[in-house]
Amino acid sequence: MTKTVLTVDDSRTMRDMLLLALVEAGYRVIQAVDGVDGLETLSAEGADVVITDINMPRLDGFGFIEGVRADPKHRATPVLVLTTESDAAKKQRARDAGATGWIVKPFDPVKLVDAVRRVAA
Amino acid sequence: MTAALVLPAVLDIQQAAPLRDDLLALRGQPVVIDGSAVERLGALCLQVLISAQQTWARDGLSLQIDQASEAFAAQWNAFGATDYALAQREPA
Amino acid sequence: MTDAADPFEAIKVTFFQECDELLGDLETGLLAIEAGSADDETINAVFRAVHSVKGGAGAFGLEDLVRFAHVFETLLDELRAGRKPCDPPTVKALLRASDVLADHVSAARGQAAPVDEARSAALVAELEALTHGGAAPAAIADVLALPEADEFGFRPVAFDFSTLAAPEPAAASGWRVTFRPHARMYAKANETALLLRELSRLGPVEVALDASALPDLAELVAEEAYLTWTLDLAAVVDEASVREAFDFVEADCDLTVEALSDAPAATDAPDSAPDLDIAALLARATAEAPVIESAPPVVEVAPVVPVAAPTAAATPAPAAQAAVTIRVDLDRVDRLINVVGELVIQQAMLAQRVIESGLARSSGISVGLEDLELLTREIQDSVMAIRAQPVKSVFQRMPRLVREVGEMTGKRVRLLTEGEATEVDKTVVERLAEPITHMIRNAIDHGLEMPEDRLAAGKSGEGTVRLAALHRSGRIVIEISDDGRGINRERVRGIAVSRGLIVEDAVLTDDEIDNLIFLPGFSTADAISDISGRGVGMDVVRKSIQALGGRISIASVPGKGSTFTLSLPLTLAVLDGMVVSAADQTLVAPLTAIVESLTPRPGDVHYVGGHDAVILFREQFTPLIDVGMVMGFRDAALTPSDGVAVIVETESGARAALLFDAIQGQRQVVIKSLETNYRQVEGVAAATILGDGRVALILDVDAIVANARRRSARPELKLAS
Repeated sequence: MTKTVLTVDDSRTMRDMLLLALVEAGYRVIQAVDGVDGLETLSAEGADVVITDINMPRLDGFGFIEGVRADPKHRATPVLVLTTESDAAKKQRARDAGATGWIVKPFDPVKLVDAVRRVAA
Repeated sequence: MTAALVLPAVLDIQQAAPLRDDLLALRGQPVVIDGSAVERLGALCLQVLISAQQTWARDGLSLQIDQASEAFAAQWNAFGATDYALAQREPA
Repeated sequence: MTDAADPFEAIKVTFFQECDELLGDLETGLLAIEAGSADDETINAVFRAVHSVKGGAGAFGLEDLVRFAHVFETLLDELRAGRKPCDPPTVKALLRASDVLADHVSAARGQAAPVDEARSAALVAELEALTHGGAAPAAIADVLALPEADEFGFRPVAFDFSTLAAPEPAAASGWRVTFRPHARMYAKANETALLLRELSRLGPVEVALDASALPDLAELVAEEAYLTWTLDLAAVVDEASVREAFDFVEADCDLTVEALSDAPAATDAPDSAPDLDIAALLARATAEAPVIESAPPVVEVAPVVPVAAPTAAATPAPAAQAAVTIRVDLDRVDRLINVVGELVIQQAMLAQRVIESGLARSSGISVGLEDLELLTREIQDSVMAIRAQPVKSVFQRMPRLVREVGEMTGKRVRLLTEGEATEVDKTVVERLAEPITHMIRNAIDHGLEMPEDRLAAGKSGEGTVRLAALHRSGRIVIEISDDGRGINRERVRGIAVSRGLIVEDAVLTDDEIDNLIFLPGFSTADAISDISGRGVGMDVVRKSIQALGGRISIASVPGKGSTFTLSLPLTLAVLDGMVVSAADQTLVAPLTAIVESLTPRPGDVHYVGGHDAVILFREQFTPLIDVGMVMGFRDAALTPSDGVAVIVETESGARAALLFDAIQGQRQVVIKSLETNYRQVEGVAAATILGDGRVALILDVDAIVANARRRSARPELKLAS
């Protein structure tokens, strides 16, 4: 059973890097460019795991995670936050918003796939 | 009269409240739960099932989990819930 | 890794393109702030621009760039949080910093001389002074470096060197973990079952469940957490590894980890245990070395990707910061791309011949060949970099078109556009202009009614055509909709029958009828007008979309209007495919070519002239091609009913059924470069590597179908004829 990962990031570079690492690991990847697009894509397509950036236009990662947790259909979807922030406050905010786990940028593709595997049911 | 309840394929956080409500609705009668369709069992539904077994036992009634699928039995054991009864499906 | 290097390089190209845009956004934002016309979102956008540059630079190990961007970003974060004022001297410093950031980007790209270190250092000091109000700057070490273990749930490096130097807090022979999740752990979609699975990857775990806190079912709160687990792990690992399994949830549970003094594992292998541990740690240290070494400011990090030195010499440094552009005819770019493709193939063939001839070892030829390969790749990358632009350039041409077509037809039209900033590969943008133009003409000419008819139907006299672009699920979607009369299904059906495209009594759904307009040879000829006629049918539109790896569909509601939806890939490096097997080979068929799949029943297959197999599909005899046979994977034909037939459609609209042994499933694959294709296997478009490491060939459906036709030289038969 191929698992689907939704990546939400406004940077094309990051989207491509995530895509490459995840597709090589055998996941199916769908993408969104910001939090609003992310919520729409999740509700239209569903996903087994979501990876989201924090700093994005329109709706940031915190708002996106809160949106996922408030969605009765998708609130049980694991969400990993992708961030370069070495800022404990941001990490706490992501936790409070309902993030399942973290991936620190720059990420090692092996660690990325590892984190996805850990939270994917 | 023995009541019957068929478990869904995915027993995750979403199913914990519905499962509890479904079981409570059958309280006061013996129940046989069909676990043959279960593919995934999460800890919150495990809680509901064990609590139901204890509750039914206190009521002096039987509550059996029957026909557990392989995935269901494997996860049940992985949770260390081996003290609680689970009847596995006969191998075909 | 050599295979992965290719797409990684492509991403780097994307990164530098994105940097150009981000630097542009940064400057625009800062100028707006300077002019006093900025709002909260401006400062956020400015922050994001620098943040994104830093993020990408980190991924490529561009340390100088990361370091500078970090200091810059830190100050911007203070400003957007309102902790520091955005006064004129600060804005001036930010503008200077954006120039230096651009210099760093150019230097990292190999397009300019190294950055003026003194200027850069002075600005770093200035930015830090503004950030900290004169206080000692925080160590920059943590920029590239590894976050504190307790500060981050996910650690890039999961152990520290002290365990190597002094094996003091060494691994116990086993660990007892007590774990009591809190309700909020489950609310964040963490699951005990997965944590147990993770822990058991370290070694055998004995699980004991304490359910004594569970209340009666009537009192049980469904999403409250009542259970406690005691987990005895028999594995020689250090405590950090055990805790790592729980790091995502440590704030959302009660967790204790204690060493087991006499775990069963310890008695099994008492002496070898510590050695194993060190060996394992060393193995990990080696594996993760690039990450660790990037902590101190060492210049030679990791395997830095081949720097574009030759390009640096060849490319004149940009004279000004302002982007200089020229317009180039698309044909010329395409010709260049084609020639470079040929060059790559020739280069690979040459290398192969040199190896075969045994010359490579004995001379300087191999060095020359490597240089040639590097150069060839650079040329390929540079050519492919002429890409990615907003669809705005196409959308901007439409208002005029709408006015003109409106005048010619006597219809009143309002054009709404959305998502002009949506970006896509330049080739795609360029090739979108024609189909979009055609569809908008079509929407006005055939879709919208005359004003009086609209009023009679209770609609506004002015019709609306909406043109929208958006990103959805990794693809760009273009929608062209009108609020006109919708598709006249009676008429479409009649035309299809009269042109022999379907039999008279064919049973079709509304949707199938609507999609008949895409069939080759279907053209609403009795309505060919000056506007949308021009001998171009919707089949041509579909063909051009399919050539880009895209799909087109139509949805129509009688009396309410029609919507055409184009869906195109954002990157051309990834393909949606169906993984199939033929003989013992794994193959990938592009999803865009696939209509559907079916299992042939013995009676469905007929043999024309005794050998050419055809299969009845949608009341039409369709050639059945045994892919294993035509590709030479097997000698004896597969019995059709033992396999699976995948109905495909070529770009020219011809249908064929490809017979495979089995379908393994759908997935996305990364297309490997042309090099893997230099032998030019007939019927193979490219190759890919699947998740399990197997190489799979990507089928060139058009070539396979064309070859099979050539062999049999027999046109498809229609039941109708």
